[in-house]
This record gives sequence, C-alpha cells and structure tokens, in this order.
Amino acid sequence: MKKRTNNWSLIWNPFTRIAGWQAFGVGIVIVIISAVLASYGNLVFDGAVDAHFGSNVGVAKSLIITGISLFSVVLAMYVVGIIISKNFRFVDILGTMTLARAPYLLLAVLAPFATFPDVEQMLQNPMIVLEYPSIIIFGLISLPVLIWFIALMYNGLKISTGAKGMKLTVGFIIGVVVAEITSKLFIHLIL
Amino acid sequence: MLPTSCPSCQAQLKVMALKCESCQTEVTGLYELPVLLRLSEDELLFILRFVKNSGSIKDMSAELKLSYPTVRNMLNEIIQKIHNYEKKN
Repeated sequence: MKKRTNNWSLIWNPFTRIAGWQAFGVGIVIVIISAVLASYGNLVFDGAVDAHFGSNVGVAKSLIITGISLFSVVLAMYVVGIIISKNFRFVDILGTMTLARAPYLLLAVLAPFATFPDVEQMLQNPMIVLEYPSIIIFGLISLPVLIWFIALMYNGLKISTGAKGMKLTVGFIIGVVVAEITSKLFIHLIL
Repeated sequence: MLPTSCPSCQAQLKVMALKCESCQTEVTGLYELPVLLRLSEDELLFILRFVKNSGSIKDMSAELKLSYPTVRNMLNEIIQKIHNYEKKN
C-alpha cells in the first residue's frame, strides 16, 4: 500500500507525485520551450511520437504543429480512458500527457547543432551521413529519448485511469496509433 | 496488530475465543473476521487517514505527497479487495 518512490522511478513515472493541473502547468511550459527551441533547428514534433527535421519551420508553425500533436494525444488517450476505466479525470490525462513530452526538450536543445548533407548528396551516396557526426549523435540520443517519452505516456495513462494489464497495454497501443493518425490528419487539414 | 492470515498456509484466520478481562469469562466459537480487519496494516492505516481527512482524496494526496490519481487508485484497490471479500462470504 505504501508508495515508495526513488529518484530513478520518478524519472520513469513522476505521475505518482504530480498529475492534473500541476503536471499540465509544468508540462505546457516545457512543451512551449521545446517547440520554440526546436524551430531554430528546423525540428518539428509532427505527430503523437514523431520528431522530424524540415525546412523553414518557424516558431509559429512549430508551436501549431506541437499543439496539434499534443491535442491529438490527449483526445485519443481520453477516449481510451473512457473505454478502459470507470472513473478518471480528464485533467489527469491532460496533465500527464503534456508532461510526458518533457524528454523532447533534449532533442529541441540539440536540434540546432545537427547539420545535414543535401538530399541530393544523400541520394547519391548514403554513406555521406557518416561524415556528419552530429546526425549520428542526434540519432543515438533520439532513441532513448523516444523510449523515455513512450514510457512516460504509458505510465501517465496507467496512473490517470488506474487500468492494469492487457486492457491498459492494448488501450495504450491503440491510443498511440489513433493519435498518430489524427495528428497527421489535423496537421494536413490545418496547415 | 491482529494476525489475519495463517503463518503456516496463509489461509484466512477465524476468531476462536474472546475473553472478558474483568470477569475472566471466555466466549469460544468460530467467528469470521470483519471485512475491514482482513485488510493489511497499510490498508487499514490508509482507511484511517481517509476517514480523518473526511474522505477527501485531495487532502489525502497532500498529506501523503502523492498525486490525486495515485491516491484514488490506492483507494480503488482497497474497494476492489473489500468487494472480493464480500463475494466470498
């Protein structure tokens, strides 16, 4: 019954301590900073779990795309919550899903330092990527960041809804897939 | 703390004897433990805190320094356990 939490478990699941409006407040600040910083590196968070490099992204576009992505995740997980849980609060889904995006701040900070070869150069010689160590470093850091982000989303849904086992896992996977599709659709329709 | 499960096989214990300390009368039989007494010490402590906080999950979460949904989930687990005990009876 006692919830013993150490710093390591808090990194993967801070939602035992923080949820609801408090998590949303902290999360939205990090999300906005991430979107602004990422725009300077032409990085966009264009999907439920996506982060892609584009061209001439701009602060406004980055903020809108990040907002659409977050909205899609919150909406999808809220619907999943209604299906898999009897009693939960929307604000917990909103807060946990917003704070779950915090790891992307790392990518946003690193994005302006990543340099790429031209697309034509890459098509002619894909191995040219090896001459750009910043991309390789960015790629290596992206993977654990993505795993961290997904783990936070999963734990956010778990704490917010109180669901467990297969119901939670299947619900989460469906939620991510639906959020991914809807975010792409909304981005296409709005921009 | 009252032992509620058998130290040998972990089965649910029952009350066999009750004694009056004033006149030394002993009442023996085989009585079921009340549902609340079948809960663990931590769970009973949680319920005690919950009652002291007038059933406010918000106040409980502040006292335990845990998030609102975490406390609600702990409460739901106890409720589920009580339902299961009641079904067995």
